[in-house]
Amino acid sequence: MHFLEIIKNLSLVQWAFYFLSILTLYGALGTILSKNPIHSVIYLVVTFFSISGIYIMLNAQFLAAVNVIVYAGAIMVLFLFVLMFLNLKEESTEMKTSPMLIAAVSTGLLLGLILIATIRKAEITRVNYNDFDPNTGLIETLGMVLYKNYMLPFELVSVLFLVAMSGAILLGKREKGESHF
Amino acid sequence: MEFILLIKGLIILTIFALSLGIAAYETYFERVIAAYIQDRVGPDRAGPFGILQPLADAGKLFFKEDFIPTLADKGLFIIGPGIAMLTALMSSAVIPFGDTLLIKGQYIPVQGMDVNIGILWVFGIVSLGVYGILIGGWASNNKYSLYGAIRAASQNISYELAMGITLLSVIVVTGSLSIRTIVGLQHGIDWNIFYQPVGFLIFVTCSLAECNRTPFDLPESENELVAGYHTEYGSMKLGLYLFSEYVNMFISSAIIASLFLGAYNYPGMDFVHSFLTGKLGESFGHNLATVLGILVYILKIFFFIFVFMWVRWTLPRFKYDQLMNMAWKWMMPLSIVNLIIVAAAELSPYPLLFNYIGLAIFAFLYFGSRTVYNNKKSKL
Amino acid sequence: MYPIIVFSVSGLLMLFLGLSVNKKSLLPYNLLFMLVGLASNFLDWNAPGLYFNGMLEISNPIILVQWVLIFAAILVSGISSRQFDDTHAYPAEYYAIMQFALVGALIMVSFQNLLMLFVGLEILSVGLYVLTGSDKRNLRGNEAAIKYFLMGSFATGIFLFGVAMFYGATGSFDISSGNSVANNLLEGKMFFWLGMVFIFIGLLFKISAAPFHFWTADVYQGAPTVFSAFMATIVKTAVIFALFRLAAYSFNLEYENWSKFLVIIIGLSMVIGNVTAVFQTNFKRVLAFSSISQAGFMLLSLIGLGAQSYGNLGFYSLSYALATISAFGVFLVISSNTIVEGRPSENINVFDGLFSRNPDLAIILLISMLSLAGIPLTSGFWSKFFVLNDAAAKGYFWILILGVLMSAVSLYYYFNPIRASFKKTDLGKIEISSLSKYTLYVCAALTILFGIAPNILRSLF
Repeated sequence: MHFLEIIKNLSLVQWAFYFLSILTLYGALGTILSKNPIHSVIYLVVTFFSISGIYIMLNAQFLAAVNVIVYAGAIMVLFLFVLMFLNLKEESTEMKTSPMLIAAVSTGLLLGLILIATIRKAEITRVNYNDFDPNTGLIETLGMVLYKNYMLPFELVSVLFLVAMSGAILLGKREKGESHF
Repeated sequence: MEFILLIKGLIILTIFALSLGIAAYETYFERVIAAYIQDRVGPDRAGPFGILQPLADAGKLFFKEDFIPTLADKGLFIIGPGIAMLTALMSSAVIPFGDTLLIKGQYIPVQGMDVNIGILWVFGIVSLGVYGILIGGWASNNKYSLYGAIRAASQNISYELAMGITLLSVIVVTGSLSIRTIVGLQHGIDWNIFYQPVGFLIFVTCSLAECNRTPFDLPESENELVAGYHTEYGSMKLGLYLFSEYVNMFISSAIIASLFLGAYNYPGMDFVHSFLTGKLGESFGHNLATVLGILVYILKIFFFIFVFMWVRWTLPRFKYDQLMNMAWKWMMPLSIVNLIIVAAAELSPYPLLFNYIGLAIFAFLYFGSRTVYNNKKSKL
Repeated sequence: MYPIIVFSVSGLLMLFLGLSVNKKSLLPYNLLFMLVGLASNFLDWNAPGLYFNGMLEISNPIILVQWVLIFAAILVSGISSRQFDDTHAYPAEYYAIMQFALVGALIMVSFQNLLMLFVGLEILSVGLYVLTGSDKRNLRGNEAAIKYFLMGSFATGIFLFGVAMFYGATGSFDISSGNSVANNLLEGKMFFWLGMVFIFIGLLFKISAAPFHFWTADVYQGAPTVFSAFMATIVKTAVIFALFRLAAYSFNLEYENWSKFLVIIIGLSMVIGNVTAVFQTNFKRVLAFSSISQAGFMLLSLIGLGAQSYGNLGFYSLSYALATISAFGVFLVISSNTIVEGRPSENINVFDGLFSRNPDLAIILLISMLSLAGIPLTSGFWSKFFVLNDAAAKGYFWILILGVLMSAVSLYYYFNPIRASFKKTDLGKIEISSLSKYTLYVCAALTILFGIAPNILRSLF
């Protein structure tokens, strides 16, 4: 009955948080468990969308909107796009009981164990509600931080994009002649 | 507090009903305008002037067989039109349909919600809109549906870029992402369209592309792809797809009108406001002025809806390579140039003047260099 | 700070030059830009401090390391002459990406903020993913690029996770904020330690230290040889200095904890690198495994972490770069003269009879191999001596013994090409372009110079 009591006493914010968290995890699990890559991508969109919801709960509206526009709106559409062209067969993604799978699962479990142990062991300092600035996540604050304190990395990211873009064009150019080893 | 929530709920409900109602009657207007342009009668049987035609259409769609192809991905096939409709309706939440209503001494904005990222919300939802088409087209398990879906996706992504950059040039001028603030700064006839006519044109064109309307309706071009992404759809699922297109059209028109034509602002609105409050009392006069503003806004929206239809029944469809060339080789560079000009003008003492000077300089450089280039080529 | 700006702009210029200038004159432009970048670093000389709101640190030792990086890039460009002449090459893009990658490398040796480190790392890595796959008709190159990209992005993800943990623990991206949690109890340090481990793992991957080295051989083999040389020298130098900065500024108070972890990695790198290299027949794979063992030696200076360690690491980087670039340079010339099945042969037997075919190249190869093996009178000896000395000062004698032992093992595979080059052969002379010839002369001369008088360089740091 204790469990029910807790559920009854949840505040609206907690309800929203748990709903979004469960949705996020559902999407994430769906992404890795579904056999069809298209379904994976759609589950991933669900994950991104619910993560955006969590951003909004943290009052980071700009981040939420950008997350939706960039990840859910652009990148995942391109993913879907490519996957639809590839027309992957479901059989091609099988990896049953191979040593690789066992190794991967055990490594992942080990990592998860370390993380859980750390979280249990660590003392987590909580945010003080009273002196927390509610404007922290708003775009005005973000803009000031981005263009004042982090001006240099922000500008240098453009070099990164330039490299990626010119590299993509370089690799994407059609090549004549034979392939060889 | 309870009372305000009630009013707010009523406003949201009204906006919802309004978007649906206008979208329903857009189908009627589309037929009427098509008929007018093609010099024929158009719908005239259901009710006087055929005014009940949308109801008849809806009834027909509802009673058709709800068909799902055997090899379709059932879940996604059903979700597809739902997503299309959902995303189409969601964006109307942040559109400021009017100024404030003064009720019991409190000003309540006529808007679903005023968030400080309003325009990004719209942009995000619009970018999600393509999932409805993409999922539906893929789930149909039909070659033509898939082609339609893929065309829709690539087209939306391509035109989103130019649209986003144009949006940036609006934000540069207003300095806010909240649509209410953007609209508020266009008080009277200080509309953005005068500051950035090129941006306006790009935005309208991109909206046409985002709504998959002619001349950009390649996702459903009937002579190549049967009916595009909704080839396999029937009954109300098809209805939802078609309907979401009209809702999108309504939302796009509303966004264009609020970003570039000042939404509920009209010349002489201050005079009307003071006149009405003087004659009819503070509260009633204010509310009446707001309602007038709403009517003006709806008029502007209708104008753009008309433009959308006008374009549809006048212009032929693009070829696909033309569509892509236009997005990447014309719209994108032009919107970047526009952004630079607007940003530079904004730093100058007279933004309006410098904007046009900048555009003139650009036009001179562009056409000048083209002439020089052509002359050189003809000499060779 | 100025070279970062210079290379960001010159990379763009390079892309545009590719449109207007013919292919052969791109290399001079590239060298010109690099020399401008090298010279622009003088503007920062004797102006130490933090720049851009504590994003970058400039000091004379850092400028010296940046010179090492730019100098190595110039040498790599030097040996690339005539390599991109065929119709399938896009030298403008290659050089532009090399300059951009150099931007990333320069950031990585002077960052003061973990965000800068991340941006630098990504610029460097993304550039190299592209360069690895730049020979698109080579299927092995494509495989290498994909492998490098997937593993590299995964490592970046791990690194970024570590940065997030670091931020969570300290509330700042500034590297000096690592000290703020030093006095915390065990419970308050958990996330900091977790972050530290993940950051180390992410970066150790990039210098291909032992348990994270699996990509190295395939990528070095698959990538075009010029870019293998770039990868071996510039990436390794940049990342090792990034690690050194982190070890010296953020994690120095946790030395006791990570040094044990690092010593194991060093031991593994030395053993795996040297022992596996013995069995290789492909020269690029040999150099790849040798680079793994060299990474182990470089990491020794992190264990040392004394007043001299920074200089020792700088010395090591430069002498390693000189030796590796000359090895790759000689190999490049010979292998492009030895076509087997339509492709330059990469087997060690391409060196057969090199001495009679071109004695200069054979001597340069000899010097570079001796330097890599750490034979006295070459700079390689002193570099190994310094780092081992450093580690021994901290009491890690067994790693010293292991290092010397593994150097002995390495003699076997470093002497293979030398032995081959003195074989008798009836093959014709090898022609070499003057630019790469002079580059190789410079490499060999400096290797000998620093081997005789190491303090010329070391005293600068």
